[in-house]
Amino acid sequence: MRAELSKLLGLPTAWAGLVLGLIAAPALVFVNTPGLRRALESGRIADLGYENLGIGLLGALILGVVAVSSEYTSTGDDSPGAHQMTATLLAMPRRSHLLVAKGVALSLVVAVQGTLTASATMLLTQVMLPDYAPPFAPARIAAAVLYWTLLGLLAFATTLIFRNGIITLTVFIVNSSVVSVSYLLTKLTPWAAYLPDIVGAHMFLRSMPGETHIPPLTAGLVMTTWVAAFLAAAGFFFTRRSA
Amino acid sequence: MISIDRVSRPGILHEVSFEARPGRVTGFLGPNGAGKTSTVRILLGLDRPATGTATINSQPYASLPRPLTVVGALLDGSGAHRARTARAHLRWLAASNALPRARVDEVLEAVGLTASAGKRAGRFSLGMSRRLGLAAALLGDPPVLVLDEPFNGLDPAGIQWMRAFLSRCATEGRTVLLSSHLLDFPVDDVVVIDHGRVVARGTPAEVQGDHDSLEDAFLSLTGAATW
Repeated sequence: MRAELSKLLGLPTAWAGLVLGLIAAPALVFVNTPGLRRALESGRIADLGYENLGIGLLGALILGVVAVSSEYTSTGDDSPGAHQMTATLLAMPRRSHLLVAKGVALSLVVAVQGTLTASATMLLTQVMLPDYAPPFAPARIAAAVLYWTLLGLLAFATTLIFRNGIITLTVFIVNSSVVSVSYLLTKLTPWAAYLPDIVGAHMFLRSMPGETHIPPLTAGLVMTTWVAAFLAAAGFFFTRRSA
Repeated sequence: MISIDRVSRPGILHEVSFEARPGRVTGFLGPNGAGKTSTVRILLGLDRPATGTATINSQPYASLPRPLTVVGALLDGSGAHRARTARAHLRWLAASNALPRARVDEVLEAVGLTASAGKRAGRFSLGMSRRLGLAAALLGDPPVLVLDEPFNGLDPAGIQWMRAFLSRCATEGRTVLLSSHLLDFPVDDVVVIDHGRVVARGTPAEVQGDHDSLEDAFLSLTGAATW
């Protein structure tokens, strides 16, 4: 576990994810304040501040991807087939133990980052828009942090299945920021609201776009189930494949 | 003691069996593509055999609780992520096997990398990468070393350094399994593999038999003499 933490935090790309995740949401509060003010005057206030938290999940995604993709990056031009996973498996040959250690290390890092960011974002919202900001709600912040952590684990599992970070990163970033395929699907069927990447947001957002309203607890359970299924699949492949 | 018992992988290895005895250097020789690396990877639990078993001190590698204290392995590449410094790489390895941090500086010194400890692994030359790999192998001060083609790609100075290093390991009484396609180091025992089958094993004198040299024997055993 300690080894996995040290490994993850020893990577420059992991720090990029950390910094991005840490500052993106609070920064958005600053940038977005004028727009928010207008929205507020028209009466939409339920998710003030929390809406900005969505962007911070990029950090969790990057961390989840990097925790695995760094293992499969070629170590040098002299030996293109060689990667760090060999050293990792030589040090920790029990693959199931290794996966648990990695998952726990990742969850810890994302959770600490998420707590800091979410708290900072909400406090900042209160400073910038004191008249409108909702009261500081630890439970909703915890839900947002849980959402990030689960998303980090989802990225982790997906990358492990594909053994390639580019695919995961592209799919998740495009889906979460440019065009949300999952969101478009909700136009076709309300069941799409239960897709892994968007269901979790119901845990802390009260006015999600779309018709379906999912209670926070249900959303959390559904997303946890998705993540557990992805992790199980990743574990299945990982313990059976040659390194 | 390393024991490979009737290990097979379709199309690659056919019932490969041999032992590497304690305190001896065993040369695992064969032409490129003969199955040396596959055998070593199975021994280290990286790949699975279709049938057969590979054990170290009667245990499969994957069930060793702190493997780095039992076996040190050198495979292709340093094993370090390019962006990581040599020291950071060795530190997480040490942490993974509950080894004291002080070992990191000791092994860096043992392979002559102290001055480059803060350099990122991606900027290392091939010789330095190989040394970093060796530093990782020595981290747990293991009694057994498994080295896959340690001389590959090294320049003459690197080869000289590697020879001296191996001699030191042998005099320290470590069990060494040395896979190579060249006969460039004195060994106590020889196992010759070709096309996934063990074609000879024994002391160098036994394997040499009536041939003029061990090299001649190797060439005729592996059919490489037709070159």
